[in-house]
Amino acid sequence: MGRPRGFDEQDAVAAATTVFRERGYAATSVDDLVAATGVHRGSLYGVFGSKHGLFLRVLDAAAQPETVATERLDVLLVALLELAPTDAPVRDLLGRVVTDHHVTAAQLGDRLLARAGLPSSGQPSTTKPPTTKEQS
Amino acid sequence: MSNNRVSITGDTLVIEPVGLDKLWSFTRRLKLPLAHVRGATFDPGMRDEPKGWRGPGLGLPGKLAGTFHADGGRQFWNISGYERAIVITLDPSQRYDKVVITVDDPQQVAATINAVVGARRS
Repeated sequence: MGRPRGFDEQDAVAAATTVFRERGYAATSVDDLVAATGVHRGSLYGVFGSKHGLFLRVLDAAAQPETVATERLDVLLVALLELAPTDAPVRDLLGRVVTDHHVTAAQLGDRLLARAGLPSSGQPSTTKPPTTKEQS
Repeated sequence: MSNNRVSITGDTLVIEPVGLDKLWSFTRRLKLPLAHVRGATFDPGMRDEPKGWRGPGLGLPGKLAGTFHADGGRQFWNISGYERAIVITLDPSQRYDKVVITVDDPQQVAATINAVVGARRS
């Protein structure tokens, strides 16, 4: 505890964001976070208190105006799916982020489809079967 | 068959080692004020962490009970195996900086503690 902090918190939060976006909340282990941030487990616990504490920082960073929209949407999706139903403080926080950034259900849905590599709802079946069209 | 019973009464998080673990850990009950609990994390990876020096308590492979000293702090351990271990962090006003225990449903227990702690802060 007494030693000066040997790492940059913002870098650690950014690295953690990448992991949470890829794996979700529950599936991200502390080992994953240690590997991604390059910060020792003891320091992660010392600074952020818990995985939950680190995720709150990730959420906070995602809520900043300069954050790229896709990144913000990914973090929101993870939080909405995994934490919000049972975690009232996170739910309230999400409510504020959604309002502040005018995040719509359509944006969240489109991002969910795009993330999975599927065409979004904006472009329906016309573009869906390009391969069959080329073949015929 | 967990080693610890975890409950929340009022503004206290209560951890009770079960059966003989009371004896090994020299602890009948830990009462942690929620105001000083920072958070809880399901963390089987604690297996590979240095445990520091032991005392008083018991230390066998995969079975730790009692007080350990690592990283310049003091930790309370009561675990059998690491697959269901949770780490509870406490602020510097407390005797221990971390409490590492095994419980039946680690993800659920960690989520409950975090939700209660979070609700007190907001």
